[in-house]
Order: sequence, then C-alpha cells, then structure tokens
Amino acid sequence: MTIRIHVRLAEPFWRVVGERELEIRLPAGSTVDSLINQLIELYPDLDEEFRQAPPLVFIGDSEVDQETHLEEGANVHLVWPIAGG
Amino acid sequence: MDFEVRNALIDLNSGDIRKFNTPPDLVEAYLGGRGLNMAFLRHYLHRTGDPLEVDPLGPDNPLIVGAGMLTGTIAPNASRFNVSARSPESGILGDANCGGFFAAAMRKAGFERLVILGHADTPVYILLDNGEIRILAADDIWGTRSIEAQEKIKSQYGAGTVSVVIGPAGENLVRMAAIMTGKKNAAARGGMGAVMGSKNLKAIVARGGNPIEVAQKKKLREVRIQQQGYLMDSKIVQVLRRVGTPLLYEVSNRLGAIRTRNSQENYFEDTLNAEEIEKFTDKMLACTSCVSPCRPRNTLGGEGPEYCTLGSLGANLGIAATDQVIQLNNLVNDLGLDSSSTGNIIGWAMELYERGLINDEITGGPLTWGDYERVYGLIEDIAHRRNFGDILAESTRARYHFPPEANDYLIAIKGLPQSDPHDVRYFKGFALGLAVASRGADHLRNRPTLEIFKLPDELREKIYGRLNNPDPTGYEDKGLIVTWNEDIYAVTDCLGVCKFVTHGFNSPHLLGYDHFSDLIEACTGLQITPQELRKVGKRVIDTERMINADFDLTSKDDTLPKRYFDDPLPARQTKGHHIDRTKFQEMLAEYYHERGWDLEGRVPTKCKEEIDGLLTQLQS
Repeated sequence: MTIRIHVRLAEPFWRVVGERELEIRLPAGSTVDSLINQLIELYPDLDEEFRQAPPLVFIGDSEVDQETHLEEGANVHLVWPIAGG
Repeated sequence: MDFEVRNALIDLNSGDIRKFNTPPDLVEAYLGGRGLNMAFLRHYLHRTGDPLEVDPLGPDNPLIVGAGMLTGTIAPNASRFNVSARSPESGILGDANCGGFFAAAMRKAGFERLVILGHADTPVYILLDNGEIRILAADDIWGTRSIEAQEKIKSQYGAGTVSVVIGPAGENLVRMAAIMTGKKNAAARGGMGAVMGSKNLKAIVARGGNPIEVAQKKKLREVRIQQQGYLMDSKIVQVLRRVGTPLLYEVSNRLGAIRTRNSQENYFEDTLNAEEIEKFTDKMLACTSCVSPCRPRNTLGGEGPEYCTLGSLGANLGIAATDQVIQLNNLVNDLGLDSSSTGNIIGWAMELYERGLINDEITGGPLTWGDYERVYGLIEDIAHRRNFGDILAESTRARYHFPPEANDYLIAIKGLPQSDPHDVRYFKGFALGLAVASRGADHLRNRPTLEIFKLPDELREKIYGRLNNPDPTGYEDKGLIVTWNEDIYAVTDCLGVCKFVTHGFNSPHLLGYDHFSDLIEACTGLQITPQELRKVGKRVIDTERMINADFDLTSKDDTLPKRYFDDPLPARQTKGHHIDRTKFQEMLAEYYHERGWDLEGRVPTKCKEEIDGLLTQLQS
C-alpha cells in the first residue's frame, strides 16, 4: 500500500526540480527522511542542495523532524533555513 | 604608502572648509565607515556643550558622511558608507549604512569623510571634485525627486559623476527621510535625509580624481581572487545573485513570522514570494566590487524591492498585489523615504483607525488594510507634509497627536520603527537584538541569523567561543550570540563591506575576521590581527552606548514593543510564542555581562576614559 504526498519546494530547491509542487508516492508508514531520499533519487541535483542547507520541513503549519511519519495526503513544504533581512 | 583618511569639515553657515587627516591612532581604533563616524559624532556632539541641547534639525547637528576603510577598492563587496548624526526620528544616535557607487566616487574625489555643520541660507549642493570642494547653489535641483535630481546633476557634470541626494521628504524635514543614491540605494534609517534638508543641502556630488591607492596591489588581487572563489561557493551568494533578498519572504511566512497588519497577524499571501517578484525583474544589479549582485531592477521603472520593503509596504499594510507593492517601493525611493519606517507608521495608523483610537477628523478619510490608492496618496502626503501625512511625517513622534493608548500598538524601539518584516516573538535572540540595537529597532546591527540553521554543537562552540543553547526559541545564551554578531557586523560597517558576505549573516561560510585582516593589510598596509579586529567591534559598540547615554538612554530603553510581550503569535509554527518579561530581563542581563557593561548596561569608566582619550586627538 502506498500513500500520496503533496510536496511544495521553496527557493532555491524548486529551481533544481523545475517545478514548485510535486506529487510523490511512498510506502505507507514512510517518514520525512524517506521522502527526502526519494526526492534525491528522483532529482539527484537536490542531494547537493540538501547537503549545503538541510531544509526545514513543515507538514501543514508545523515544523517536523526527519523521523516524523507521513500520512496519506500530507502537505509537505520544504524551506531553506534562512532568516536575515 | 601611508594610509591616510582624508576628511573635510564643511561649515555651511560661513562657507569655511577645513581639510585634515584622521590621526593614525584613531584609524587603527575605528578603521573607518561606521566606526570613525561614531568617534566623530561623539566628538562633534560635544563641541558646543551638552549633546542633549543639539537640535537634530538645527545647525549644530553634525552630518557625517564616511566611507568604509576598504570601500572603493577591489575588496569583495566593499561599496558602503555610513551617514551619521543625531537622529530627528528617534532623538538618539542616528546612523544609516548605504551601498551603490557614491562612496567609491567620494574617495576617488579625494575624501574619506565629510563633517557638515551649519545651515545654508539658500539651497546648496556640495561638489567634491579632484580634491577640491565647492558649495554651489542648488536652485535647479531643489524641489525635484531623487531620480530627477541625480539625472540633472549627471547631465551637468557628465559620466562618472555620482551623487547622494534628498527628495521631497528630506526637503520637507520628514523625520523618516532617507538620503538616496541611484534609484534605490538609501541611507535610510533614522531620518538622515531630514538632517540634510535642515541644512538646506540638496546633494553631495563626487567626480574626478584618481584611482584609490592601495598598499599591496599584487597581494590585494590575489586575496580578492581567493575570497571571491570562496564566496561564490557559498549557497547564499548563489541564491542572492538569482533573486535577491525577497527569497527570505517565503521562509518567514511559512514559519508564521511575517509581520502582517501591524503585527496583529503573522502570515500573509504567497504573492510576495521571490518568484513573483522575479516576474517583474529584468536584471540583477551590483554595487561597487560586488560578487553577489542582489538588487533587482524592476520593470516598473525602479529598483528593488528588498525583503524589508515587501514586508513593510506589503504584508504590514495588507497589500498583496505584487505590482502594487513594487510601485510603492519605487515611490518611496523616488520621494526619498525610509521604506521600513514609512510602512510601519502607516500600518500603525491603520490599526489605530481600526480600533477607533483615531478617526476621519484627523485622518481625513478611512484607513483600510490593503487600500493601495489610499496608501499611495498617503506616502505622497507624508513626503510633502500635506493633510494627515504631515502628522505621519513625524514618524514615531506622531504619538503626540494620538491618544496615549496609541503607544501600545507602535512597533518601534527607542523611537525607531522596526526595520525588517520578521516577527521576533519566536526567535528570542532576534528579539534581544532588536531591543539592544544602538540605533533603535534594527536587525542589521546584530541579527543572529545562524539561529535558524540548528548547527551542530561543535560548530556553534567554534563560532561563538563556548557551548551554547541551540534552541532558537529558548532564552539562554542569547546574550553571547547577539554580542558576537554585534561585534562582527560593526567591523563590517567600519570596513564598508556588505553584510551579505559577512560571516554569520545567513551563513557560517562567508568572510570573517581572518579574511578582513588580510584585506586590511593588502589595502592599507596596516597589520591588525583578527583578535584586534573584534576589539574594534567592541569599541564601536561601547562608543555608541556612550553616545546614547548622553541622550539619557538607560537600560529601561532596551526593551520591546508591548505587543511582543503581551500578545502571543496567532498562527502557524510560531503560534503561542511571545516574549516573557522576566526571561527577557535575564537575557538582557546576560547581554550586559557579555558586553562587559555593568548591571544597568553602562560602559565601565575605564573603557569610557580610553575612548574619550582617543577622541581628544580630534580638533574641533
């Protein structure tokens, strides 16, 4: 059984992918970590992006960590960690 | 060569001009830019007696324009200068930092620093031309907007001429008036444009002269190539080159940290994301010697907007349409207004109107969130001091026209509206930084941006010098972190280098004290160790604290807007966060300790005596 995850990529991640939003299918019970790995597998250039700046991961309005389990239809937003001005 | 810092004291009352060099001890102690400006400011504020008696809009207020030590050389991103005076907006230390091309032209024309006193009887401009200074009638440019003024000056003096000017806002003594150069570069904070206007000074024009001499040309070329390569490998530099600071909007918005409708809310529309701004961008522009061109040229006739302007004139006013925010950005720049203060003050008035604390009788009509036409008209009225705009032109001092409760909704510290769109109730180090910043609520004095990175303990220890609490929402160790950032940003401002390439500003992989030490030696021949450089940063902060103490500022002024203490953030990840008053005081005490100040936040007598001893070398 798989779950469908809606992924939104912030600046600069989406530039590598060419799309702002993606639908990703993962095995049920997958974590954020597996989503990240799946994205890198689909878009290998993301590997360098994520290594330079590990993204902040949000599900809905909450920031989550890599071990968080994903649920069917989750809205995941990957954001660059930056807060200057 | 001996490194010289060449100054001119220009008295607009008498027309007298005196040229002099900065004593070498002072150069080593303060380098240039903001540092030497602060040394000069303290000196000249005491020139006629009590600094408190110096009217910010009077002839005795010194207007100091100073280039950074490295500005105009090929050192990376070394374009910047500072303008300093007693602020007519806050009444305390006023200091604004600006990029572009003017400071390099000023140095080529023969001057690192100008101290302008007095008041001209009729409008004038100052011409710096190949080592000479002339004070000339400004009849042809007085009354013009900032872009037209610069175009007229350029058409008269030809290519290679660069000027700083005031627009209508400065001429009309609007307390949040900026000094402009180019279409967008602004010495914006604290109303330095109004100080210039109070002197009847429309512009400072630089032309001619010789290339800036450096001590070790070959070494400087080598260092530049090496540091440019290092910077170009940095992700933040790469992204800034592509979209500029608007990239910050989406991150803050996702977190629930975009100040919205005068900080009543904490998130806004996606229409202000970087890729929406990009649709109106036809080119990214750079300042002198820049490796990271981050200034968008927009297709609506101006440059920008920066993230700060997106927030202040967009989310903070409830204006979501991308083109409208860009138009407002272009308008404030052409009128010569600080976009941060302008957006804050209008947002404040909108909330007061919404709450019924002010009404049509004073405002002349409704003030409604998102009303672009009304905001556009209000900005024009502020710059020309017309109708309700005349009251808002007083910036935070507009409170004297409003009921006392209006203060509860003013997002300002020490009389200066908050510079940036980030709501600081979540990241406690950001809050502390705003509370203690020497010019008022401003993030560019000390923002500990690395807090968001969640760096490993070892790296945090290496950067800050000891282990510290990695939780950005906690209160512990924020004094340590803010002090660290404050020192290095002060040094950056002394050198004239952009913060976007400064270690700690959005990346740990940018230029730090070691890099600066190499650049200083190559440019000036002075050998100043990284450890000594940090001491310069501390000296600048101490000097600024002393200047503010002369204006009767105390630890009670190191505080935050009431809303940040009392109103929890309403939504998203940051929901529920506010600043706890008791923990804030503990954080403040730790900061004073890290600074080496006493429990009341005062600079120790020994430090004061050392600083004032150095300043005795300046003649009046």
